Amino acid sequence: MIRTPLRPLARILEARSKGENPDAIERENIRIRHEQMRDRARQRAEGRLLILGIFFLVGFMAVGVRMGTLATSDPAEPRAQAPGARITAQRADIVDRRGRILATNMDTHALYAQPPQMIEPERAARELVKIFPDLEAEDLIEDFTGKRKFLWIKKKISPEQKQAVHDIGEPGLLFGPREMRLYPNGRIASHILGGASFGREGVHSAEVIGVAGVEKAQDDDLRDPSRTGPLQLSIDLTVQAAAEQVLYGGMKLMNAKGASVVLMDVHTGEIVAMASLPDFDPNDRPVPLTTGDQGDSPLFNRAVQGVYELGSVFKIFTAAQAIELGLVNENTVINTSTPLKISGFTISEFQNKNYGDLSVADVIVKSSNRGTGRLALMIGGERQRAFLDSLGLLEPTPLEMVEAPTGTPLLPKRWSDLSTTTISYGHGLSSSPVHLAAAYATIVNGGTRVRPTLMKRDTPQNGPRVISERTSAAARKMLRDVVGSDHGTASFGEVAGYHVGGKTGTADKPKTRGGGYYEDKVIATFASVFPAHDPKYVLILTLDEPVETSGPKPRRTAGWTAVPVAGEMITRIAPLLGLRPEIEPGQQAGVVLTAN
Amino acid sequence: MSYLEYNVKTVPSGIRKVLYLNWPLAVLLVSVAGIGFLMLYSVAGGSFSPWAEPQIKRFVLGLSVMLVVAMVPIWFWRNVSAVAYGVSLVLLVLVEFVGTVGMGAQRWIDLGFMRLQPSELTKITMVMLLAAYYDWLPLKRTSRPLWVIVPVLIVLVPVLLVLRQPDLGTAILLLTAGGLMMFLAGVHWAYFGAVLAMGAGLVTAVFQSRGTDWQLLKDYQYRRIDTFLDPASDPLGAGYHITQSKIALGSGGWTGRGFMQGTQSRLNFLPEKHTDFIFTTLAEEFGFVGAFSLLMLYALIILFCITSALVNRDRFSSLLILGIALTFFLFFAVNMSMVMGLAPVVGVPLPLVSYGGSAMLVLMVGFGLVQSAHIHRPR
Repeated sequence: MIRTPLRPLARILEARSKGENPDAIERENIRIRHEQMRDRARQRAEGRLLILGIFFLVGFMAVGVRMGTLATSDPAEPRAQAPGARITAQRADIVDRRGRILATNMDTHALYAQPPQMIEPERAARELVKIFPDLEAEDLIEDFTGKRKFLWIKKKISPEQKQAVHDIGEPGLLFGPREMRLYPNGRIASHILGGASFGREGVHSAEVIGVAGVEKAQDDDLRDPSRTGPLQLSIDLTVQAAAEQVLYGGMKLMNAKGASVVLMDVHTGEIVAMASLPDFDPNDRPVPLTTGDQGDSPLFNRAVQGVYELGSVFKIFTAAQAIELGLVNENTVINTSTPLKISGFTISEFQNKNYGDLSVADVIVKSSNRGTGRLALMIGGERQRAFLDSLGLLEPTPLEMVEAPTGTPLLPKRWSDLSTTTISYGHGLSSSPVHLAAAYATIVNGGTRVRPTLMKRDTPQNGPRVISERTSAAARKMLRDVVGSDHGTASFGEVAGYHVGGKTGTADKPKTRGGGYYEDKVIATFASVFPAHDPKYVLILTLDEPVETSGPKPRRTAGWTAVPVAGEMITRIAPLLGLRPEIEPGQQAGVVLTAN
Repeated sequence: MSYLEYNVKTVPSGIRKVLYLNWPLAVLLVSVAGIGFLMLYSVAGGSFSPWAEPQIKRFVLGLSVMLVVAMVPIWFWRNVSAVAYGVSLVLLVLVEFVGTVGMGAQRWIDLGFMRLQPSELTKITMVMLLAAYYDWLPLKRTSRPLWVIVPVLIVLVPVLLVLRQPDLGTAILLLTAGGLMMFLAGVHWAYFGAVLAMGAGLVTAVFQSRGTDWQLLKDYQYRRIDTFLDPASDPLGAGYHITQSKIALGSGGWTGRGFMQGTQSRLNFLPEKHTDFIFTTLAEEFGFVGAFSLLMLYALIILFCITSALVNRDRFSSLLILGIALTFFLFFAVNMSMVMGLAPVVGVPLPLVSYGGSAMLVLMVGFGLVQSAHIHRPR
């Protein structure tokens, strides 16, 4: 910076020469200089002040504009939000085919404690035990007075219990809202629905997740927040309830330890009713067995998970295939008198009977092992296997339940001639009642493949054709004869007014240890279709270890056990299904056996 | 030594000084306080007790204090500013030990007839000392680092003491006012640029590091910041006041529900209805018109202060006036923003309107200084 000298010598000399006082010039210079500095300072200060003014202005405008927007806003009460991630707890209802509730949600509360906030922990513990007798006062006192900051006391409490806890007046006892799964029908359809329990739990909400049955298989769908409306099953609650009632009575009457029933629409594959006994209440699921056979647990679904050698009910498949292949027709005579020996094993008839020469139809009606075996040998193992596969008997069912994949059919290791023969009458190949229902539906509905489903659908499946219409009609006639003719094995299944057709099956139960079969333990199955001339439904009823003791000797065959129960069931459910009797039903003499 | 010298002889003396008061400013102060009395009368449910009456008494006291301060020549105040600042610092330290705990923070010293809040006093004394400092400091040295450190210390010491109480609102106010004073005094741009950049950098670092392995704060501290910045996420806890006052403002609409007709504040939805959140009552009962009128009154007060500062050629006087105007502005701007949800909730009263002794008295002393500077300005 070039400084201007304060005393410009030239001006001072000039002034001196004129005789003026040079100090005046100096003072003048200082004054000008000061004024310049002051102006600069002033300018800068004013610049800064301008910025401050802008700062003020922006502040005023922000406040003013905000005032305006708030004044024009609608006052809205804010909704309280739970801190942290929200857990979606809304779960879709499950309804039956007519929209009646099978599973829904109920608001309830969970009870928890925050011991640091407690005023009288010991009194609170004692009062709690009065409300919940299953709690231990000592444990609670220990928890409440210890170091714990938080503990759950009860996962679900009733409104009365909540009020009672509230009345204790302890600020350290708190409630968390809960949504719990409720099955208002109790045990009805318990195996289908399965059950639900809490998943992730927070204080403000908890996840409800399915643990079994449809609840688990459709868990993602049921919890999908974008889903609208309930999940509609193919089950008919009325029919289901009637079927379960009859099944329970039949199981008791026939001294069976278990029973199952599957009722399926032959065209749509919808399962209208399905039950397994013993059952449970899905509102209070029992714990799985830790010892013994899981098959005896009430949680075990015999209709889906129970794979059994179902016995003679398979014979219709062999007969139908033989007819379909043109090897025989229903009147072709088959020799069943000569012994049938394969690989050193002799195939014998039930109670070593000898039926002589039988037509194919009579092989089914009389349930001849030898006759069926001969038909099977005519077909051959390869074609038999392909046919059973096309009926869906060799793979797990596509049912919408988590248990479905566990009901995988048990196949012979090697499909030998012996296997072919035994499988033809239902031994050596295990499958579940649902498998059987789907296969029967395929056979009798005109011959198109049916896959079982639990979801409501109104249109026929129109699956790939398995057998021709003609063969299907022949099979229907044979099945009808089993029930309708005097010498058939299922004559107790005749229901006045409804043309029931069907096939019995009595299979010895395999020993759980070692090989071989029990002499006195059987699985009795009756696979029925009705009305037989134009089947609408197939009903598979199995009894586990039934014994009918009204005669001089205990009788275990399906004709004496499963068939009467099925007959009673059809009598009850056919009207509920909207089927009208074709003739005026007379006295229901045939059902007295099971109804007493 | 003041750079701008002036002739003392031209300044009015004796009782004639009253004629030279900045009368418009005084009238504005009285009218704002009057609005405060109305609101306090209303929130008490149409009663002078418990709030309106003591408030009127205090305002009368404050008005006389203002007059007394205004009569005393401004150079006296300049000469005692360092002492005043020292006294307020001592009081701030003292409040640590003998202070009364209120609302979870140590803020008051009980003097018997009133409760003194040293942090309020500091707002004025800090401004005074800063003005005196820059009046004394030759202009050329203003931006020299050594001479910048001194005012920074003058600001930071009380800020840290106030933070310890803890009173975040007052601390932020002090810091902002101090910083703006230095800016007005002409400290070089670069200092402010550097501080702002560092602040921005620190904030960015804190938030950017969140969720990474090297995050600077603990998780719960981040959550507190979240709630602090967005109280709406916790409407029943930290955000309770804000949501309720927003409802009040919304229900007031353009013209309000009418005097004594407010529901939000009178039905006790707002626990702090007579102090920090009194603005909601005004907005609910007199609507946008009433609230905006108050804002305009405040704006006029600021405007008269700025004009007074501009015409005053004394550096101390003009800096002091601007500093007090700044403090006043920050008070109501922060309070209004907080009530309307523009800023996080910090305990800052609405000046001259909120119920409370210390703040009003200190503000009146401040405006007394403004008046004194106005009367004793060089002519």
